[in-house]
Amino acid sequence: MADRIPALETQIRLLEARLRRLKGDLAEARKTAEASAQVYETLGPLSSSEKDLKLAIDGGFPDAWRTETLAALAQPVSPEAKQKKHWPLSQEEYRRYGRQMIMREVGLEGQLKLKRSRVLIVGLGGLGCPASAYLAGAGVGTLGLVDGDVVEDSNLHRQILHGTERVGMPKVLSAAEGIKSINPWVSCRTYESHLSAENVMETFLDYDLVIDCSDNPATRYLVSDACVVLGKPLVTASALRTEGQLMVLNYPPRPPGDTTGGPCYRCVFPRPPPADSIVTCGDGGVLGPVVGLMGVLQALEAIKVLTKTDPISKEAADGWAPTEPPSLTIFSAYSAPQFRSIRLRSRRAKCATCSVQATVTAESFTSGSLDYIQFCGAIHSVNLLSTWERMPARDYAAVRNRSADKETKGHVLIDVRERVQFDICHLDGSFNLPFSCLNSWPAPGTPGSESNEDSETQKLHHQLQQLIVRDPDEPVYVICRLGNDSQIAVKKFKELGFDNGGIKWIGDITGGLRAWKKDVDDGFPEY
Amino acid sequence: MPSKKPPPGHFNLLYFAASSSYTKKSVEAFKAPVSAADLFDLLEERYPGIKDKVLSSCAVTVNYQYVDLDDDGDDRAITIKEGDEVAIIPPVSSG
Repeated sequence: MADRIPALETQIRLLEARLRRLKGDLAEARKTAEASAQVYETLGPLSSSEKDLKLAIDGGFPDAWRTETLAALAQPVSPEAKQKKHWPLSQEEYRRYGRQMIMREVGLEGQLKLKRSRVLIVGLGGLGCPASAYLAGAGVGTLGLVDGDVVEDSNLHRQILHGTERVGMPKVLSAAEGIKSINPWVSCRTYESHLSAENVMETFLDYDLVIDCSDNPATRYLVSDACVVLGKPLVTASALRTEGQLMVLNYPPRPPGDTTGGPCYRCVFPRPPPADSIVTCGDGGVLGPVVGLMGVLQALEAIKVLTKTDPISKEAADGWAPTEPPSLTIFSAYSAPQFRSIRLRSRRAKCATCSVQATVTAESFTSGSLDYIQFCGAIHSVNLLSTWERMPARDYAAVRNRSADKETKGHVLIDVRERVQFDICHLDGSFNLPFSCLNSWPAPGTPGSESNEDSETQKLHHQLQQLIVRDPDEPVYVICRLGNDSQIAVKKFKELGFDNGGIKWIGDITGGLRAWKKDVDDGFPEY
Repeated sequence: MPSKKPPPGHFNLLYFAASSSYTKKSVEAFKAPVSAADLFDLLEERYPGIKDKVLSSCAVTVNYQYVDLDDDGDDRAITIKEGDEVAIIPPVSSG
């Protein structure tokens, strides 16, 4: 009995949250009704034309007006037209959505489903902006927006709902403004914080479908787990550099253990990538249209799920499966074909979240037993070198000032950023050895292992060797963008014996070029 | 660059995302046949470190089908044949 306590507590918490929301909705509806009643009270008894006006304001079309209008049109009037008819959408909505409503895939029924739908978008960045913009355009009734970040300059090339004038504004508020301007019929709910195990259940509860537009592995697993536990279909996508991935998960959204349900994120990627290998858009870069495309595809898949025709009978419902089997779509902008569709397996037999052996449950979110950050590995700042192997940017500026040419005479400066970053900006006199070339550096005494190297890398290795042996006393400074890769490079150089058994000083510039900009030269470009 | 047919007696391996950065290639031909269970070791031999840093979290597909190469995965017994298209798909989480 005791083991049911946490489960019951969670259930109560979730129901209380739903009740709070319903009470809020009721209070608002009452307020609106009261306000309109007050207006009419102050007007006193209404004349018949005022009654017509009231009806019109309340969204109806007074009979008197109808007769007049029809008479004015002086067309033969069918008996049906004389009857008062209640249309499910407003005139403006028919015009606004006409182009998609006349398609067999949507129709009036699909449009009404979209209008009744509540969709939650996690992350309002490169994916979330186009995804929410298209869902707003399509007439989804309620859009929930979750993001704890503010708009930055470096977002603008791809996050198309955020304009230049909104830099510094919370992303959810900026996105909500953009959505309102696209379609005022959409109701936006904003959650100005990052998603966490503590708030995920309450946040997801009221929505029909979740769109994962987040930017880190921990959130990916959190969102997927919560979707399985609460039975919500999930449209997930990601993008980096020139590639993107897209999946519709937990669809159909059957309970854990039901093998006819769609696979979840853990079924496809049971193990998170090593924390130190995670490349963000900030480090690796991303093309706007690539991430934009993936976000647009998310909106498309969401519309397909939301407008899907309901099974007619219970029998049909039991045998119901999505028309398409679960798949992973890979987009690669610079290869042919650009799109590849991978057929996925059904749920993994030992999945921690959606199988019969599931260990992830509603209460594990709130009890704190699920630590997503730990599961994905916390990213520690790189701290490989001792103090005497590191030099603050200011001190290195003094070294350059003392040098005969005010640059690198008397020492060697190696910039380990990738070539394309080096070409954007670098310190005069620095030698570029891209960090990626360090991986393929042959171990000492294995001349034969160079077979896999391209000639460009071999040339670089040769040039570097020349530079290192040029003068045994010359110190070697290593610099990168932020001061992490430079430490790894220094370690590697020492392993390769470049420090001549400790005689030659090899170290890095603490904080890299960002520190150089901050402490030495504020005119140096930051990208 | 269109994915070319592999030379006779070979299969093509496609690298995406982190696996492409690590190998600095988008496609590479390997001699067939190879047991799916040996695929990661084959790559580790050619690209030391790739197993821990990249492959451990990747999805693998053979001819557009997801295959499970876990220690007790169902598909370890599969043989990769001449002309097959195998892909290494690391999870990408950024957006």
